[in-house]
Amino acid sequence: MFTSILTALVLYWLFLGQLSTPLLLLFSFSLGLLFLSAHRHTHDSISSVDVLARRSALCRVNPALKVGCSILVLMLCIAAQTTHMPLILTAVLCAVTIGIGRISWHDYLSKFSLPAVFLLLSTLALLWNLVPERGGLLDLPCFGSYLSILPAAQAAARLVLARALGAMSCLFFLSLSTPMPEILAVLRRAHVPSVVIDLAVLIYRYIFLLFETYHQMHSAAQSRLGFSGLRRSLRTTGQLYALLLSNSFRKASACFDAMESRCYEGELRFLTRPKPVLLCHALFAGLLVTGSALMTLLSFF
Amino acid sequence: MMHEIIRFEQVSYTYEDGREALRNLSVSLHSGEKVAVLGENGAGKSTFFLLCNGVLHPTRGQVFLEGVPVTQKRQSLTALRRKVGFVFQDPDVQLLAGTVEEEISFGPLNLGWDEATVRKAVEQSIANLRLEAFRTRAPQYLSGGEKKRVSIADVLAMSPALILLDEPASSLDPMHTQLLEQNLAMLESRGIALLISTHDVNFAWRWADRVLLFHAGTLMADTTPDAVFSDPNLLAACGLTQPTLYSVSRILGLPQPIHTLEELEQQYTRQR
Repeated sequence: MFTSILTALVLYWLFLGQLSTPLLLLFSFSLGLLFLSAHRHTHDSISSVDVLARRSALCRVNPALKVGCSILVLMLCIAAQTTHMPLILTAVLCAVTIGIGRISWHDYLSKFSLPAVFLLLSTLALLWNLVPERGGLLDLPCFGSYLSILPAAQAAARLVLARALGAMSCLFFLSLSTPMPEILAVLRRAHVPSVVIDLAVLIYRYIFLLFETYHQMHSAAQSRLGFSGLRRSLRTTGQLYALLLSNSFRKASACFDAMESRCYEGELRFLTRPKPVLLCHALFAGLLVTGSALMTLLSFF
Repeated sequence: MMHEIIRFEQVSYTYEDGREALRNLSVSLHSGEKVAVLGENGAGKSTFFLLCNGVLHPTRGQVFLEGVPVTQKRQSLTALRRKVGFVFQDPDVQLLAGTVEEEISFGPLNLGWDEATVRKAVEQSIANLRLEAFRTRAPQYLSGGEKKRVSIADVLAMSPALILLDEPASSLDPMHTQLLEQNLAMLESRGIALLISTHDVNFAWRWADRVLLFHAGTLMADTTPDAVFSDPNLLAACGLTQPTLYSVSRILGLPQPIHTLEELEQQYTRQR
């Protein structure tokens, strides 16, 4: 609900004065409604990203190709000077992730809505400026000066939002098609320092543990009416987090014992299955990168 | 001829907070043995297992691996952990990787084997525990019984001579408990010695050929199941009961206590 209202408002303000009023209202509300239809409360949003990645048809594609392609396109997207390239990229990657990867539209949007809130909130900050006198498209009096939307701020916010959308769709393409361990294996081959990768592997591993521990404790508290009323909810939440820390420490030390018992000597290594690069995948990646590069280049003139 | 795998000589272990978990433990384990470790919670079973595997180091006393003293040096510990595998009670603390295959490869890779050998060990382990259908699944999302199988495969891939299982049947459903016993038989047929801690006296009676009975950090008995379960004073002191089939044999006045229902059927019809 919150995301939908925010989306509609931000879009309205972004294109205020650019589109005729009925068209603007239609556009804002329809996109807002889109998020409303997608929003569903999910408990374990982190773990399900990984589940979706393993289910994706793109999971069979060589992970190095996906990682390389995503990073290149992401950098090109951030370098773009107009909104065209990022928006087209967003559409293409969205279509690829949903159409070819066969991730459901609903899952995609509900995952997208969480970072979208942050994006929209920061767009708000870019849109509204404190100026000494009126003269914007919309002015609100505020302590002797005015909160206004200026056309220049609108243009800047549009560009930032478009770039951020493009970058996010790159990361979504990667994370909804490549399970975390495969991404890490690619980084290892790219000679990223092993400390960084081992940390990432362990964090990835413990996120599941933390989540599970949290989930169990939350349910246990709920079954004893720990969340009836605001005061009690706050108290319970505080106690839960405090215990979560000590429980996780205990679990982490047990996990370390288990690793040691299998001769862990400071480097995490796993046997991975080879996923060869297919010609059609390479061609598509080439096309995507060249297309993005051309459009980014054009946006400079 | 049974050969000795691991030997404890006067081993004591005291936790950092001063709690003494094990006192003057002397015991040795041999190839091909099926040992049940009994005792109440906090009796020292888990500490004993962690010492066997070199995760903990004795405060006093000495552990020997095939006659050679175990030191805290890396090489010595690696040799110990290769020979003695440990299946933790909670599979979640053990499972680490993104797929079952990767998970099983962790131990063998740590032993420094080359890729072909590791792949072979992983394949064999998968075949032995019939995990073919799960090889590309994420172990975190498997069911409890399946996780237990993966955690056994993890250890089996390192080709140990002795496997320690800490309460393997806790939180398993009856079907998976049955499957677990089949897998134990598979491990036994490969000549691997098994050391299982359990609270289930019926399982210990049915399965084990030797019982280690712990109570408050002390080894109270190291003998045959027959000797342990025929001693009511010992059982009462350690908070254990007699196995159902053992009591049934006593009530029916059978000449030999029976271990399985099939045996009961045979003996009972013969008596009539």
